Amino acid sequence: MSFSTSKFWRWALRKIAIYLAFFCLIFWVGFPVYYMLITSVMDPPELAAKPPNWIPQQPTIQNYREVIIGETGQRGDYGTTTEFSRMMPALLNSTFVSFAVVVLNLIIGGMAAYAFSRFDFRLGRVAYVGVLMTRVLPALSLIVPLFIILRRINLINTLWALIITYTIFILPLTIWILREYFDTLARDIEEMALIDGATRWQAFRMVVAPLAVPGMIAVGVMAFMEAWSEFFFALTLTNSLTYPPLLMSFRNLHQVNWNALAAATTLGVLPPVIVAFVFQRYLVRGLSEGAVKG
Amino acid sequence: MASARIDRETAQRRKHWDRKWIPYALLAPALITILIVIISPLLTTIYYSFSNVDLIFNRTTFIGLENYQELFTSRLFWKAIEINLKFAAIVVIVPTLMGLFFALLLVEDFIGRGIGRTLLILPWALPWIVIGLLWNWLVNAQFGAINGLLYSLGLIDKYIPFMADEDWALIFTALASAWRQTSFSAILLLAALQTIPEDLYDAAKVDGAGLRARFRFITFAWIRPTLTIVLLYNIVLGFLQFDAVWIMTQGGPGDATMLLSVLLYRETFINFDLGMGAAVSNVLGLITLGVGLFFVRLTYRSQAAYA
Repeated sequence: MSFSTSKFWRWALRKIAIYLAFFCLIFWVGFPVYYMLITSVMDPPELAAKPPNWIPQQPTIQNYREVIIGETGQRGDYGTTTEFSRMMPALLNSTFVSFAVVVLNLIIGGMAAYAFSRFDFRLGRVAYVGVLMTRVLPALSLIVPLFIILRRINLINTLWALIITYTIFILPLTIWILREYFDTLARDIEEMALIDGATRWQAFRMVVAPLAVPGMIAVGVMAFMEAWSEFFFALTLTNSLTYPPLLMSFRNLHQVNWNALAAATTLGVLPPVIVAFVFQRYLVRGLSEGAVKG
Repeated sequence: MASARIDRETAQRRKHWDRKWIPYALLAPALITILIVIISPLLTTIYYSFSNVDLIFNRTTFIGLENYQELFTSRLFWKAIEINLKFAAIVVIVPTLMGLFFALLLVEDFIGRGIGRTLLILPWALPWIVIGLLWNWLVNAQFGAINGLLYSLGLIDKYIPFMADEDWALIFTALASAWRQTSFSAILLLAALQTIPEDLYDAAKVDGAGLRARFRFITFAWIRPTLTIVLLYNIVLGFLQFDAVWIMTQGGPGDATMLLSVLLYRETFINFDLGMGAAVSNVLGLITLGVGLFFVRLTYRSQAAYA
């Protein structure tokens, strides 16, 4: 009897501890995000309330509307500006850049990873050092020479400047993960195909590529996230063509309309958040493989 | 029989034939572009750090160690080192401990675990620039959520201008970085925890190992390599973080959040002293490279110990 009671208490204590910890997690992650979300559906006067309205009294989609049509402050309050009209083009640009980076990364990185994996190379260590270097290199420090190079080929303030830079900075990671992936795929099936008279390309297309799809999704998702989020190169190489530096310029407006800014921020993080949730499994895999082995 | 041999010979010749140039062709695009976009700027930066770069007359003159001498004798540099060490300490300790805490929670079986795991990804999915903005909202002196919360709970009767205070500014910029990095750490640690075979625990239980012993000799031993990597990433971030700090404080108030990366940005883009900026970036690069190599040796040694 007393045994089962103590067992019950242990079970109850354990549950309480777990749900307390769970509450901590929800609060830690949720509180900042929740505050941004409620700010984005408030009017500027309501944001000034003290203490804050934790549940918005008159939620409005006006901020989102203004950001999407590109004019804020039409209600006669502060923060009148047309700067926000750059928002939708910036989101389109970010989308284009991110997809281009994903595709280029998979092609160029996939080729290199395949070469590293299937041919005998001493260069394998170079790839390793390359990954390490790009991870510990202050990207800030490369900006001036990079700027000079890109100016020489007339790419400053174009999306291509970003596409090229992002692709190449993500490449070492892509190569690393895909190479590990190719290495684990059975080599003998491929060699059998070769002996049966398939060309390298056929062997790759029919045997290796289909098996490597999960690895390629993982890499693609990681490349998308990095390309969408990158701020510093976008700030220095372009005039806020993409979403992250544009947010900075909204922030630096003389009179910041915090509510419109919250709406703009929310809109702009939807793509990476949706991608992260949908590809959660691949992402975790890519992250841990890239980090633990790289 | 004979035809099979011929077939094999053809295949082998073909293999031999494509061995010669195909791998180089496959590698060329990656290696050439990396050379142009990463390696050549890197070498240029190293050269700049020994030069006086005159942007107006487009002249670069070699001046030896002068930039470094000036840097190492400047008060601001040592202050930045001190600030950066404090910043890095928070960015290493908070995400590693909280990441471990959340990972241990989310490996347990309970209702809501799925939600928890999805929620965990959220901070990681947000760009650094958005992290900076989010925390701006939290710490703002007029409508900040932290002020609002303290006020609602009756702990303060006047909003505190956190970011005007040197210590608070440093703490909150570090916490903002820690917030996203906690998710990253927890994701990695959770992935490692999930690979622990359940029967290890069962066997230990049979052998009479208590909770603490099981944690130490199974859980901790199993995730130690991952924990090492997590530490490495957190330390590197502690020295390379720029985006979130830049949008929150731009190095202020005063020089309170003048990390090395912010100093580098100031020298290069505000003072236009490219040589000095390059010197700062090389110091920064050496610090992170040193940390990286140290950890690589550490992992190799522990792997060798297991093998």
